[in-house]
Amino acid sequence: MATYLPKTGILSWLTTVDHKKIGILYGASAFFFLIFGGIEALLMRTQLILPNLELISAQTYNGLVTMHGTTMIFLFLMPLISAFFNFMIPLMIGAPDVAYPRMNALSFWVFLFGGLLLNYSFIAGQVPQVGWFAYANLTSKTYTPDHSVDFWILGIQIVGLASLISSINFFVTILNMRCKGMSLLKMPIFIWASMITQVLLFLSLPVITIALVMITADRTFGTGFFDPGLGGSVVMWQHLFWIFGHPEVYILILPAMGIVSEIIPVFSRKPLFGYPVMVYSVTAIGFLGFAVWAHHMFTTGLGPWASTFFSLATMMISVPTGMKIFNWISTLWGGQIRFTTAHLFAISFVAMFTIGGLSGIMHASPPIDYHQHDTYFVVAHFHYVLYGGAVMGLFGGIYYWFPKFFGRLLSERLGRWQFWLYMIGFNLTFFPMHFLGLQGMPRRNFTYAPDQGWEFWNIVSSIGAYITAVGALLFAFNVIYSLLRGQKSGPDPWDGRTLEWSLESPPPEYNFAAAPHVNQVDDWWHQKYVDGKKVSPPYQPTQPDSPPHLPNPSFWPLVLAIGVTLLATGFFFSTTGIYISGFGALVIIIAAYGWSYETP
Amino acid sequence: MHPTEVVHHHKQTNTGVDDRKLGMWILIISECFLFGTLITNFLIHKKSVKPGTPGGIDVFDIEITTWSTFVLLMSSVAMVLALQACKNRALRPFQFWTFLVALGGLIFLGFQYYEFSHFLHNDFGFTTNLFASSFFLLTGCHGLHVLVGTLWLSTIGITSLIRGDRWFSPVSVEIAGLYWHFVDVVWIVIFTVVYLYIYL
Amino acid sequence: MRNFLHLLNSRLSKSILTLGIIFWNSYALAKDVGKGYFDDAPLSLSPELSKSPMYTLVGITDWGKEILHVYGITTIIALIVFLCVSIPILYVLFRFRATGEEQELPKQVKGNYILEIIWTVIPLILLSLIAVPTWQSIFRQDKAVKANLQDKNALRIEVVGYQWWWKFVYTDFGVITANELILPENTPVVFSITSADVIHSFYIPRFGGKLDAIPGKVNKLTYVTPALKSNSGPEGDYYMGQCMELCGLSHALMRFQAVIRSQEAFQDFIKSHNQPPVVTTASEKRGEEVFNLCIACHTIAGTPSANLPSEKIGPDLSNFGDRKTLAAVTRKNNMANLKAWLKNPLRFKPGSLMPDLQLTDQQIDDVSAYIQFSTAKNKD
Repeated sequence: MATYLPKTGILSWLTTVDHKKIGILYGASAFFFLIFGGIEALLMRTQLILPNLELISAQTYNGLVTMHGTTMIFLFLMPLISAFFNFMIPLMIGAPDVAYPRMNALSFWVFLFGGLLLNYSFIAGQVPQVGWFAYANLTSKTYTPDHSVDFWILGIQIVGLASLISSINFFVTILNMRCKGMSLLKMPIFIWASMITQVLLFLSLPVITIALVMITADRTFGTGFFDPGLGGSVVMWQHLFWIFGHPEVYILILPAMGIVSEIIPVFSRKPLFGYPVMVYSVTAIGFLGFAVWAHHMFTTGLGPWASTFFSLATMMISVPTGMKIFNWISTLWGGQIRFTTAHLFAISFVAMFTIGGLSGIMHASPPIDYHQHDTYFVVAHFHYVLYGGAVMGLFGGIYYWFPKFFGRLLSERLGRWQFWLYMIGFNLTFFPMHFLGLQGMPRRNFTYAPDQGWEFWNIVSSIGAYITAVGALLFAFNVIYSLLRGQKSGPDPWDGRTLEWSLESPPPEYNFAAAPHVNQVDDWWHQKYVDGKKVSPPYQPTQPDSPPHLPNPSFWPLVLAIGVTLLATGFFFSTTGIYISGFGALVIIIAAYGWSYETP
Repeated sequence: MHPTEVVHHHKQTNTGVDDRKLGMWILIISECFLFGTLITNFLIHKKSVKPGTPGGIDVFDIEITTWSTFVLLMSSVAMVLALQACKNRALRPFQFWTFLVALGGLIFLGFQYYEFSHFLHNDFGFTTNLFASSFFLLTGCHGLHVLVGTLWLSTIGITSLIRGDRWFSPVSVEIAGLYWHFVDVVWIVIFTVVYLYIYL
Repeated sequence: MRNFLHLLNSRLSKSILTLGIIFWNSYALAKDVGKGYFDDAPLSLSPELSKSPMYTLVGITDWGKEILHVYGITTIIALIVFLCVSIPILYVLFRFRATGEEQELPKQVKGNYILEIIWTVIPLILLSLIAVPTWQSIFRQDKAVKANLQDKNALRIEVVGYQWWWKFVYTDFGVITANELILPENTPVVFSITSADVIHSFYIPRFGGKLDAIPGKVNKLTYVTPALKSNSGPEGDYYMGQCMELCGLSHALMRFQAVIRSQEAFQDFIKSHNQPPVVTTASEKRGEEVFNLCIACHTIAGTPSANLPSEKIGPDLSNFGDRKTLAAVTRKNNMANLKAWLKNPLRFKPGSLMPDLQLTDQQIDDVSAYIQFSTAKNKD
């Protein structure tokens, strides 16, 4: 029905259901939002460079804190990870597409509109100021009478919906669409990490959904779920938030672990050390991730038994994590290590993540957490995990798979510059935060007094942030330059191990001309190396045997996403809101029917 | 290409389960956590009745709720029969049972509408106390699921009326059925936890 | 520029020294597993970091030392693990670089179960070394709270967080004060911590860990207050504290101080606190009149303001003249700052509930004199 829609031009991007195009859209929007998140971070670091500075008001600063955290997690890391899921999962499992191509498009548009709605708060001049965790009852109508929190609540709700849709999609894709011979224990490790991530997503998202509905009810209708005056409990919000929020942390780190586990073997020319153990450890981390949420809440007075339980459970996570780190080192051990930019990022992931993990073990112990909680020590910790860890790993993934995305290599020379600027800038920014934490500097303070002795490390930290910014600009230049002038990569520039390298770069719309068949982990490698001797690689044919069955483009996902956004927008208006929401619901229903009755 | 051909286009999957069916199972697991959160929240606030405001025991009419529970349960039976008819390509029985399921959902929603307005009439509203808020959040969310299911099954029924013999998609019906049974099971839990439990 | 480099240089060297000392201290603490606690001496040696009034690695109460004990063990283990990871990484990176001239593939090792079991078991052992003292200290604090609540000699203080200041209620004495928490030395104290509005967090780093002030919930914290320092003056020893949980606009400006005094000085404080203010000059007299504008929110004990039945939403000012600071320990307490505060409270503290009362300069002078001088109990 929708076959009249074009294959190129802007309209093709708006109606695309091709997982590769959607992946690129996800990646592009992630970096679009990174500009916001990054500028927010730089502004904060500038305000804190000296005590008692008044460059930024308290109101603006609290807004920046909130938006930086929310943007980086939900609008940068999540979509960037989603970009990898979209582009790589079907290629690595030898599938023509994802299980539900239109759902995939829906997920992207819903995410994009959610992110834009959240950032519209800047234009509306009502930026949420409650932190990315939005602890009740600061979020109540009493303490935040304007609409700023509503932007956060509805933005997260919409972005969460997008993640839920895509998690089901990818989970089914991985379970159902693997090529012949690829049993679960022959999947690339990145696919394992992705699969566990989807499980974490679709199990944890409903909890935050309900929590957000409850806070919306509190704010809009005057219920008292989180109002102690009406018998509600503010700690309840923290439980609900962290039951989602802690798995969320693993949602951000597991895919990066998977990417690193793909990169290190390739550039060491050795198989991943202990593949089955790596699989079990990913699964164990995902499973334990659901039993540790209250370690964010030790200082709320959980009582001795709960504190002990959550403390021990948290420490247990370090066992599978430590196993992974030693397995990565063992993979490198005895290899022929090539220091490409991708590999540099991957190795730095291992190192930085270790530091973050170790400080994590420290505040897994409640007595220590009583000191470190809400100080800069924690800020240092989670930036080492999410920035030194996840972001570095993902940058590794970008340098590694960029040729597969676009057919051209990123400049290695610029890449190395970026890597070192990032390493130096990152460590200069965040290592001193350990010291600030030991000196008792609280998080989320818009300024500090000169009598506290915090100036020196704050100066160092801010300088580090500027260095990182230079690195980020360099990366932007590298991407633009390489897209236009980059060296053509060919199908397999790195001597890769997994199926995607048997395809031309970028892959054709139908992915695999001939359905692949695998016999073992890293099958592509074994097709290229027989008895340790390289043979001519059996690349995929460039023309398919039979015309491929491709899903038709559709504009219904876009329409449905607009409906969802309208439905949410209604909450901002007191009298006309019901009509806007109602119209949104109508659009959703129309789109759902249009969707059901068109040829997929 | 005619739509039906695509619907019937049978794809070999690794698990042997149809993609869409597997997706529905995952959605159901996810929904378990959704309702789990709601039910936990309700249990936490089971006793949160401000003095001077009505609690569940003051307003609940267990008889009516039992009837609506019965209707919903029976609609699940009809759902099984509808799927059976669809698999057997028996058009009229299929349409009959499908509309009966939708009718069951509609009756349930009617009961819920009656119940809610009765509650509101007795000063038991969304913001009366935390017990009431949790109650309406939980049952309201369930009601919304029933509404979606009712619309879905009506759509299937109407599609079948329009297209007649050309439309038999057991997978589509099975997925709708999975959803419907899940909504039913959730209601049984809610009925036990919310309505029966307060008499203990 | 040269000066700056010089500064960087000296600070950097000091900091490296500091790190070394922290590590050494951790070792010293860990050495002492189960044998009692160090006093704060070795930790306070750290030259640069410990200058900060909020420095966390100095525990001078029993609870603070207990925490440092666990802290030390954990730090040592973390460092050992760090070395176990970083040394192999560095070794591997230098040893196994590709030369580009390899003819053969490296040995294709797929795994080694024995090794993998080893690095599962060893972390488990290391973790139990952290877990046991953690577990013990959690339960010891829990027991101490229960014991001290029964203890007749213990001081019970209710701590209430407000946006953005602290109220301290000495429940046994009917004494209420704000932002400066006066404590007797060597006395067990039980804090009942709660909040009047949003979540705050009560934290005096040198005394031990923080605990949240949560509306609708009371958290209990206990420790034995430290002894007076040998060189402390009549005003006692001041320890910095701060709210640690994001609590709105002026979260960063919600500080407080704990003051350790001798038993006698503490008794004097309790006895004199509820005495009415002594009004001497004409200005103070006029100020007393002006203060009637303030009594809806503020109290000065022994005046009509103390007789209003309603809950006061502003800090108690009964001993304001004795306080060293104002506006939740963000400014020095002197006439200039007090007048500036009354002139424009929101300039000092964005979002504060303290309104600009549009007082004339004369009124501000008078009421400042009244609050500042009449309420001073110890200045005669």
